[in-house]
Amino acid sequence: MMNKKKYAAMSAAVLLASVSLAGCGSSNDNASNNASTNAANNGSTNATNDGGTNAGSTNAGTNAGTNAGTTDTPKLTGDFEVQYFVGGYGDKWWTKVIADFQAANPDLHVKALGGPKINEQNKPRWIGGNPPDFVYIDGPELNDRQMVEDGQLEDLTDWIKDAKNVDGDKILDMLAQQPQQFDGKIYNIPLVLNSWGIFWNKALFKEKGWQEPQDFQQFLDVSDKIKAAGTTPFIHTGKYPYYINGAFLYPAIVSANNGDYTVLQDMAANKVEAFESEAVKTALGKIVTLRDKGFIDKASIQINHTDSQMLFLQNKDAFIPNGLWLPNEMSKDIPQGFDFGFIPSITQDAGQKIVANTSTATVAIAKNAKNKDAAHAFLQFVFSKAQASQWAELSGAPSNIKGDISASNAPSFVKDAAKYLTDPNTIVIPTITFNADVDKAMQDATDALTIGKIDPAGWVKRVTDVVKKVAK
Amino acid sequence: MEAGSAKWQRNLFIASFIIPTFAFFCIFTIYPVAKGLYYSMFDWSGMSQTKSFIGLDNFKEMFKDPIVWRAIGNDYFLVVGKIIGIMVIATFFAVALTRFNFKMAGFFRSIFFIPNVISVVVIGVLWNFIYNPQIGFLNAFLSLFTDEKVTITWLGFTNHTIWMLLPPAIWAGIGFYMILLIAAIQNIPASYYEAAELEGATQWRQFRSITVPLIWEQMKVSILNIMMTTLNGSFVIVWIMTEGGPDNSTQVMGSYLYQMAFRQYHFGFGAAIGVLILMLSLITTVVLQRLLRHETVELS
Amino acid sequence: MNNGIRNPIVKIVFYAILILWGLSVLYPLLWTLLDALKNNDQFFRHAPWSLPDFPLLWSNFSYVWNKYNFDSYFMNSIIITTGSTLLGLLLAATTAYVLARYKFMGSGALYLLYIASMMVPFILALIPLFFLMNSFHLINTKIGLILVYTSSVLAFGIFVLVGFFRSLPKELEEASIMDGASYFGTFFRVMLPLSQPGLITVAIVNVLNIWNEYIVGTILVNDPTQYTLPVEIGVMQAEMQYRTEWGPLFAALFFTIVPVLLVYIIFQRKIASGITAGAVK
Repeated sequence: MMNKKKYAAMSAAVLLASVSLAGCGSSNDNASNNASTNAANNGSTNATNDGGTNAGSTNAGTNAGTNAGTTDTPKLTGDFEVQYFVGGYGDKWWTKVIADFQAANPDLHVKALGGPKINEQNKPRWIGGNPPDFVYIDGPELNDRQMVEDGQLEDLTDWIKDAKNVDGDKILDMLAQQPQQFDGKIYNIPLVLNSWGIFWNKALFKEKGWQEPQDFQQFLDVSDKIKAAGTTPFIHTGKYPYYINGAFLYPAIVSANNGDYTVLQDMAANKVEAFESEAVKTALGKIVTLRDKGFIDKASIQINHTDSQMLFLQNKDAFIPNGLWLPNEMSKDIPQGFDFGFIPSITQDAGQKIVANTSTATVAIAKNAKNKDAAHAFLQFVFSKAQASQWAELSGAPSNIKGDISASNAPSFVKDAAKYLTDPNTIVIPTITFNADVDKAMQDATDALTIGKIDPAGWVKRVTDVVKKVAK
Repeated sequence: MEAGSAKWQRNLFIASFIIPTFAFFCIFTIYPVAKGLYYSMFDWSGMSQTKSFIGLDNFKEMFKDPIVWRAIGNDYFLVVGKIIGIMVIATFFAVALTRFNFKMAGFFRSIFFIPNVISVVVIGVLWNFIYNPQIGFLNAFLSLFTDEKVTITWLGFTNHTIWMLLPPAIWAGIGFYMILLIAAIQNIPASYYEAAELEGATQWRQFRSITVPLIWEQMKVSILNIMMTTLNGSFVIVWIMTEGGPDNSTQVMGSYLYQMAFRQYHFGFGAAIGVLILMLSLITTVVLQRLLRHETVELS
Repeated sequence: MNNGIRNPIVKIVFYAILILWGLSVLYPLLWTLLDALKNNDQFFRHAPWSLPDFPLLWSNFSYVWNKYNFDSYFMNSIIITTGSTLLGLLLAATTAYVLARYKFMGSGALYLLYIASMMVPFILALIPLFFLMNSFHLINTKIGLILVYTSSVLAFGIFVLVGFFRSLPKELEEASIMDGASYFGTFFRVMLPLSQPGLITVAIVNVLNIWNEYIVGTILVNDPTQYTLPVEIGVMQAEMQYRTEWGPLFAALFFTIVPVLLVYIIFQRKIASGITAGAVK
């Protein structure tokens, strides 16, 4: 006990004095800048931790010990664990960035915990208060809203305000999408910027003489033609209805609300009136239109993403609602001559702006991280131009860093998509995370709607019932 | 003193055979299971480090949830469907392979057990391919007989999709029960059948009045076992094939437990469903035992 | 002895049913093998029952084997399955014997407790189990999995073996005791050998269950070097969802089926007689 207290006191002193704990490779004035923010941050967390965990202090202690002799070179030491889910984007970028970070911090022992099941595998560690230091929030069984509610994530509000990356650029200024706020606080920083949208095969459309649609009427018109030509116009991933919700329904709601996306934010805040609004009913009506015109592939309801995507790639279906990861995910199976066409939304009326429903995958620091210094440094490392620009290339999807993606080696459709996201004529919906129960209720209800089990009023009734229960 | 020492020895023997197993069982099964069930009285997301005690609120909530009732209905549908399907087919095979003097009976008996050897993951993947509306086996097969390509979405009906999960469950379950019944039939003294034969009884008659009564005990064990494994194990095949969807139409208690505890962050609620499964299993066991009891015939 | 079916038509119908069912269980094996030799394109262009195109993609097998370290998963699975099956047998047989032969206070209740535990959905225990194993420092260890798997198969073993021991004639033990053998000697030298068929039944069922178990494995092991086969298959399957490598997935499935199939073929006579012996009291 005595020892720990002594260490804590000592470390606080050392921290405040001069020693920088920030990432290697930073210039000196950056380093001192970072050191002060780090120190402030550490202080505050230690205070709030009130003895529940002494991760911060022991860690600071080790740092103090190792740093005591050196003066200038900031050194990160100890273990540092990074948890990252491996999904449609693959893990090329993560392997690279972790290797680079390790190389820049030879005294730090960086441990990569990655994989498609990592969220399940590491869950007990989060419950047990022994989580990895740094987490990439993506994939199933990890929900940022829930993690915040559960008090799992470090409050980054103060730190991020003027945090700079290793090049000395202010991180917030670089982000295309600002971090989502939970009760005015920031816990996670968006790393990957994805947009939902509708895909088609340009080559096929050209060959058949179909017009690439720009609004809902054109979409219906061309779908009529497509159907007449014997192709099913629209397939979606019924087993996971968040695809059609994200790429079709939510943009439709915003369009029907005259481009005002606050309705979605109200929905996320569990306001019943938002779900009962006309905009929602109009948007649901558009799904009903697709259904009643027989545009929706009947196979949709039971198939998962790979199956639906495969059918789409085989030109069995003309349109698919999906996310920008699609071409990378299916890269091995894209037939010769297939050319992705993409529009973020297809539900707007002629003359209305296009609506891009973005979804970001974020990174965060665990509240109970043992090596918060390394975690902060890693954040600063990740959000550098050098690292972030590789994301597009290695993962085939836009990162959340502003900048001219057209200069990068990113695939051409990523560049096309990125144009939409920066175009002033596009309404960009910031990432919205719904309550898990409400989200599930909306998914089930949308599925039921597409197969004619319920009508839009039934959809609203079902979802609002859940919202009322959750809001209690 | 002799008697006392013998008694002591006996007790030592009993203790040394009972206690290690029981201790082991308590640590690695009873304790975690009991603790899991205990969470049913908490409002806990399953992720946070804090949980709050809410008594029986999860149970009150549970009985108001229509999906729970549907899940119970689906579970009992599977229980009844599996009991009938498995028992009829397994009994048929068991009788056919023992009483009918078929050639290659041994061969059939061996291969019929194979589905029990295969991991349920493989079974799930396999049947998903069978049911796949576009590239699946079933539609391709049916298309051989029709002009137009058949595109039935086998796992996407508005209602009764649960019916589609019955064939894989039965298919996978036959082998074990068949062998159990074969064993029982082989234990019936041949003289019984010879006597019946002399009286000119038909095969059906022999089956009715000799085989069934004498293997009834094994049939009872089979039925109880099917019921138990279905109520707490059917979620695996459901989860692999449909994840309870579409629109919760194939949800069973186990899959809903998983969904709530691990996908919707209501671990306490999930634990309450676990308690429900345990209760229903116990009640159903008692009821089934009563129903099946009076027909028992002891082998003399 | 019985004369079988006399009516030839009925006989043909019965044969047809047997053969159809036989095909339905054999075909999946063949199908798994054939699909392991295909590439994605063939999955979509051809009927599901079509043969793979030439050249056959045997590379799917080597790809999976090398890329996913299947040899070490094999070893892990074999060690864990063997260890927990043997330990589980010992613990179940001893208790089952006493429960079958000796009355003592609470013996009935104890038996019921074991049986009732078979009705509890085990996934509920996952999270408490993780913390338990964590406090024993048994996460990511083979010992940890062996202990948990052993415990999870106890109830079934006791259930079957109690029935089995009850079916054995009491005279044998009595004679053994008369000869001056101790209780332990009687059990290990007389009763255990006699109960071999029952033990084999339990062993086989346990081997199958443990070999194929992946949910507990996924939670208790997150170090890839310690994965068991099914855990790896689960991870692969999750990965395949994002990469759609169906051929390799089927190759991997084939790898997991073959060993249990071999075990089954080798022991199938014993399994049949074992289940028989175990079930018939």
